[in-house]
Order: sequence, then C-alpha cells, then structure tokens
Amino acid sequence: MGLLDKLVTIATTRETLLPEGIDPFNVVIEEIYSSTEGQIDGQRVILAGTNNYLGLTFHPSCIEAARKTLLEEGTGTTGSRMANGTFSGHSALEKELALFYGCQSAIVFSTGFVTNLGAISSLAGPGDVIVLDADSHASIYDACRMSGAEMIRFRHNNMVDLEKKLRRLGEKSTNALIIVEGIYSMLGDCAPLAEIAALKKKYGAWLMVDEAHSMGVLGKHGRGLAEAVGVEQDVDFTVGTFSKSLGAVGGYCVSTHPELDLLRYTCRSYVFTASPSPSTISSVREALRVVSSQPQLRTKLWENVEQLYRGLEQSGFELGPDPSPIVAIRLPTKEKALFAWKAILEKGIYVNLVFPPAAPAGLFLLRCSISAAHTPEQISYILKTFAELKPMMTAAT
Amino acid sequence: MATSQYDTIFQQIEVLLQEHAQLQVPIQDDTDLINDLGFDSLKLMEMLEDVEDIFDITYPLNDLANLHTVKDFVLQIQQITGGE
Repeated sequence: MGLLDKLVTIATTRETLLPEGIDPFNVVIEEIYSSTEGQIDGQRVILAGTNNYLGLTFHPSCIEAARKTLLEEGTGTTGSRMANGTFSGHSALEKELALFYGCQSAIVFSTGFVTNLGAISSLAGPGDVIVLDADSHASIYDACRMSGAEMIRFRHNNMVDLEKKLRRLGEKSTNALIIVEGIYSMLGDCAPLAEIAALKKKYGAWLMVDEAHSMGVLGKHGRGLAEAVGVEQDVDFTVGTFSKSLGAVGGYCVSTHPELDLLRYTCRSYVFTASPSPSTISSVREALRVVSSQPQLRTKLWENVEQLYRGLEQSGFELGPDPSPIVAIRLPTKEKALFAWKAILEKGIYVNLVFPPAAPAGLFLLRCSISAAHTPEQISYILKTFAELKPMMTAAT
Repeated sequence: MATSQYDTIFQQIEVLLQEHAQLQVPIQDDTDLINDLGFDSLKLMEMLEDVEDIFDITYPLNDLANLHTVKDFVLQIQQITGGE
C-alpha cells in the first residue's frame, strides 16, 4: 500500500459529493470590500459566515494601529516568543489581557488553535485526567491527545453525565481538568457554565473555558460567558482567540494562577513557532480597547442576532437551540445542505457549509455568523432569500 | 471464570454492535469495527455512549487507539469493569 493510497477515498468522496463549479470547502474570497461584503466566484456577496462578530476587521483605529506598527516595526518577528519573537507590543498585550480579565497572568500565542494545543498539553499530562465536552473544538481534542492525560468525554452540555464521570474518578478528580466552551462553534449554544462551575467545586477539579466565540459577545464588558453568568472566580484558565471578535489572528490563555507564566518554558506551540506579527499585535491591542470601550457594538450585535434568528425561526427553519451570533440551520441530508449552500451563494450570500464530523451529532448545517456590522437591510435580504429558497431546499435531492 | 465473564460481555457487545454497525456481518472475535462493521468516528462515539450506560463505566478515549477488533473491545471493557 502506497503512502498516498489513503487519499483515494477522499478523492472519491469529493468527486461524488461536490458539485461542478465552486468547492464549498475551498472558497476563495476574491475581493474583500468591508467586514460584511466581498466577492466570491465573480459575484458581490454578503459575508454571513466569517466569525467577525463585532466587525472590527475594518475598524479605522485598528487599521491605523496596524499600519503604524507595520511601518515602524516591519512585517514580522521571524522568531518564536521564547527567542527573538517577543516585541514590546506582545508584552504590552499580555498585560492588557490580564487587566481585561482581572487575572494575574496572560500568554499570547500565534493562533487560537495552537493556544489550545500548547496550554492544554502543558497543563495536563500523564497521571492527570481531562474531562471534555463531546462537542469540543478539534484543537481541544488534539491537545488532549498530545497531553498524555487520561481523556474522558461527557455528553454535550449534559450535567448528569459530567457529574457521573467526575464521581467515578474518585480522588483523581482533584487532578481533573474540565474543558468546555463559552459558545459552541457549530450550533451556537452556550455551556451551562454555572452548573459546570458548581460541579467543578464539588469535586475539587479544575476548569478551563474556551471563550473563542463568546469573548466580545457575552458579558457586560465582553469577557465572555463566565462574566455573563457570574462565575469568573471559578474558572482557572480562560483561552481565546484574536481571530473572531478581535478581527485579527492569534490566541491567548489567561489565569488567576501565577504558575501559568511557567508554561512559556514548556509549551511547544509557544517555543517552536513564530510569534504574531507586530502589526497584528497592534490591531489586537486596539480592538481590545474597542471591545472594552464600545459596549454599543454588543448591543447592535444582539439586535442583529435577534433579527436573524427570529426571522429564520418564523420561516420554519430548524435552528440551533439558542439565539447567538452563530445561527445554524439544520438540513436533513448532505445533498440538501449542499444544494442550499449553492443556491444561497448564487443569490449573493456566503454562509458556511458544515458536514459531520465537523458538525456534531451527524448534522448537516448551513452555519450563519452574524456581525454587529451587518445592516438591518442586509439581514432582511438574507431572511427574504432563505424564505424564498426554503421550498427548494426541502425539495432538492 | 475469566472466559465466562468474557463471554457475557461479548454477548452484550454483540447486540450493541449489530444495532450501531453500518454493515451487517456476523460478529466474531476478529471482526474489525471499521473495516468489517463500517464504523466511523461518529457512530463509534454513539455506540460508546451506550456501552458506558449499559456497563456503568467511563470509557477513556485514549483506549480508542488500541481498539480494532471485537476482541480488543471486550477485553478493554473487561479491564475497565475490573475483570481480568
């Protein structure tokens, strides 16, 4: 058997499942006009699948901050955080993140994915236990495997199952790290974090919350789900990303435990990868100031969420359980989801097409993500288009 | 004694595998979960949830790396439940 033989299955699947023309999993945004509009396949489209929750990718002050630093400090650091890749901006951002969260320590990584890989695989190791939600992001699963810790999965948002798993651990529960997400990336539902925090305390475990999709979105100050439900003091480690509400790329881990700082010496994804470019760091620092100082962006975001979620609900679509900036439309088969995705794109709207295993529970999803920058008119057009196409989505086979 | 416990677990597993498998073939010790029964990661997770309920155990995901055949599966469950 040759090295590449295993790829034959993927090639066959691609040929049978994907339509002629544009590949939904290799979309090229040919031109980008704003945080909500671009060009795909030669056509101007509304971008409704980008995770750009606050629309900050085109915020004037973020762009200006990045531009200034680009001119002053160059295009990249050309080194890892441990070597020559920590500029004064990286350190300043860490202090600002720690202040934002009211934590003692913060570490900046190059992406959200490698934040999880590094933080989780360094915090937990052989002899420890990681108890993770079944719908956790791929980066969390990969990190757990890398860690060498015992890896236990509890059913998505199922507190009975979580408690059962913690109880069975006995004394080992004090070496257990529970990992959940603020908002789950595919269905847009929140973790029942108050209950999880209570179980964490009851069994003496540790708690990590990935606020990738909830930072900037939830909580009075935008710190995420833990702030929104008032359990920040029970969260040991918060991880997040710069690539959603903060409109750039990178990731972070913050903690009330000063020992977090020691991860700088053990995290392979901190030590052995290039650090974020200085201009990226500057745009993130500015975006963090915007998140802190402009709560009206969250208000606008949630108005948009309500408009989209309730409108799709009224049209009879089956959606994720809670209104959130991620609005997932469930379709019954892969073929119908694919048809719907193409039809929507042809009408000038880009959303994400998600198949299992990326989608949980064998679901086929059209995943919309809404932004504070979307206008009511854009959302009305999205709703009108989905409503018009609904009978065809149902009829297509 | 051990053989008897193995057989008891095997019988319970056989029912579960037949319920969840994509391909219906006779279940034997050397039946491969992926190649013979057509399990994918999603189906495997659904089946593991049932296994956890029926045997009242926690199945560590680390064990998946060594799970290939029905015999592997029965022996893993036997170990988790405290048998030999």
